[in-house]
Amino acid sequence: MEQNVLLQLSHISKRFKTDLALKDISMELHQGEILGFLGPSGAGKTTTIKIITGQLRQTSGEAKILGTDSTNIDASIYEKIGVVSDNSGIYDKMTVWQNLSLFAQIWRVSNTRVEEVLKQVELYEHSKKQAGKLSKGQKQRLVLARAVLHKPRILFLDEPTSGLDPTTAVEIHRMLLNLKQEGMAIFLTTHNMEEATKLCDKVALLYQGEIVEFGSPQELCLKYNHDKKYQVLLDNQEEIVLEQTSENIGKIAEWMRKNRIQCIHSCEPTLESVFLKVTGKALNA
Amino acid sequence: MENMNKLAAVARIKWLCVSRNTAVMIGPFMVLGMVWGCKILYGLRTDGKLVPMMMAVLLNLGITMNICTNGFLTVGTAIAEEKEKHTLRVLMTSSITGMQYFIGSILYPFVLTVVINFAILWVSGISMEQVSIPAYFLVSIAASLISCVIGMIVGICADTQMNANLIGYPLLIVFMMIPMFGNMSDGLRRISGFLFTGVVTKMTDCFANGVKYTVEPLDIAVLFGELIISALVFLVMYRRNGYEKD
Ligand SMILES: Nc1ncnc2c1ncn2[C@@H]1O[C@H](COP(=O)(O)OP(=O)(O)OP(=O)(O)O)[C@@H](O)[C@H]1O
Ligand SMILES: [Mg+2]
Repeated sequence: MEQNVLLQLSHISKRFKTDLALKDISMELHQGEILGFLGPSGAGKTTTIKIITGQLRQTSGEAKILGTDSTNIDASIYEKIGVVSDNSGIYDKMTVWQNLSLFAQIWRVSNTRVEEVLKQVELYEHSKKQAGKLSKGQKQRLVLARAVLHKPRILFLDEPTSGLDPTTAVEIHRMLLNLKQEGMAIFLTTHNMEEATKLCDKVALLYQGEIVEFGSPQELCLKYNHDKKYQVLLDNQEEIVLEQTSENIGKIAEWMRKNRIQCIHSCEPTLESVFLKVTGKALNA
Repeated sequence: MENMNKLAAVARIKWLCVSRNTAVMIGPFMVLGMVWGCKILYGLRTDGKLVPMMMAVLLNLGITMNICTNGFLTVGTAIAEEKEKHTLRVLMTSSITGMQYFIGSILYPFVLTVVINFAILWVSGISMEQVSIPAYFLVSIAASLISCVIGMIVGICADTQMNANLIGYPLLIVFMMIPMFGNMSDGLRRISGFLFTGVVTKMTDCFANGVKYTVEPLDIAVLFGELIISALVFLVMYRRNGYEKD
């Protein structure tokens, strides 16, 4: 096994009664890497995270986390990993500071570290505020602060930005990139392809419990970028998408000469379109 | 112990939650208030000196209510609240073990129950010569512990606080009412002898009537048996799904 492989899944499958939720999932996560599981609702993203973090038992296959088989992990593994699930709660009636200081006690982390993390997530000035009174984005930042309080080697995030406004999402992204800089490996799930493109070093496209594509966002986009397209808005408000054929090139040149084009975009392939191509289904359908 | 910090953290969480829950905080004082009020009421015709039967009713009501509400309801709803707010899963994925959570969860209600049980004796105004303190201490501890373990089972079964109350109250009625009405029918009395609250009732009856109470083998068997049974039920349920179903 390579030195910096922190997480290794081989041929994981999961069956709920009769439903096969995961089929033959294999992948690796390295130190300082952000890996995204991108897939539509019900694809099996949460199930994957739960299996890796020992909250659910796989039906078959092997998951190794920090060198330990996931079926053998005990509570002490959570001193080395951070978990943010899709519905991680906070203690509403306690203050922001108390919410972190309780976990600082569990992980034997100093108050200075609590202070440092609170400053990082820009909640330090709200330390004495009741956590239940925080805004949605602030709550999510608190949850994230809690998950990284003990400087875990791997951070698991189940849809960290879903339901957040774009500005807050960007703040969270910035935090994650900082954590990555510090050498933390991050495993996140999302159904937002922009997020995956922007953040992830590697993405796994998950569809109906299967990894249908795996690679860096750029690799994947280029791999499926066979036919180039242009989107044109004409002066009569007509919107047209044209493939790159010699006939269309002529057409566009003609419109340009007559100054009929209001705007023109090249349709770069996105993970969205890759996903559509691979599965025949839209990501957010 | 190496992991005392984790146990302490859970106990602190439980304390912070409970101390912000007014309904739970005033519970023990309600029980004490009720005992005090009944004492005045029952003693109106007899110059404030209670006849033994009334003293028996008073002690029994106060003590079993204290034991059952603190265990079944306080412990049960506290766990259900953590499920409802999705913080239990956070604790379990932050290196807290099931055992640490168990002990941390019952610590406060258990100690409180034992303390309030003694306060009830004092408020009731019973002559301390009629009370066997060691026996009372022993039975009180055992019964409180059983009640807290049953509360943990309620917590495993419930997923919301409402749900915990729905499961907790019927249990409360069974364990409180059967011993209380035990002297009304032979059948009830017989069942009552096999309930841990029945043992408490038998003891307080003796105290009230000035009869010397000794812990009989059957009482010990009932208390220990029920402690072990409840602990086993808890363990089996915990082994199957943890505190939460998945
Ligand atoms: N405890 C369970 N019992 C039965 N089926 C389950 C259970 N948990 C998940 N499933 C099924 O497994 C499949 C994958 O679910 P999962 O929660 O992993 O999806 P997801 O990718 O996280 O979706 P979302 O984006 O909506 O969160 C779904 O079909 C779901 O119904
Ligand atoms: Mg999910």
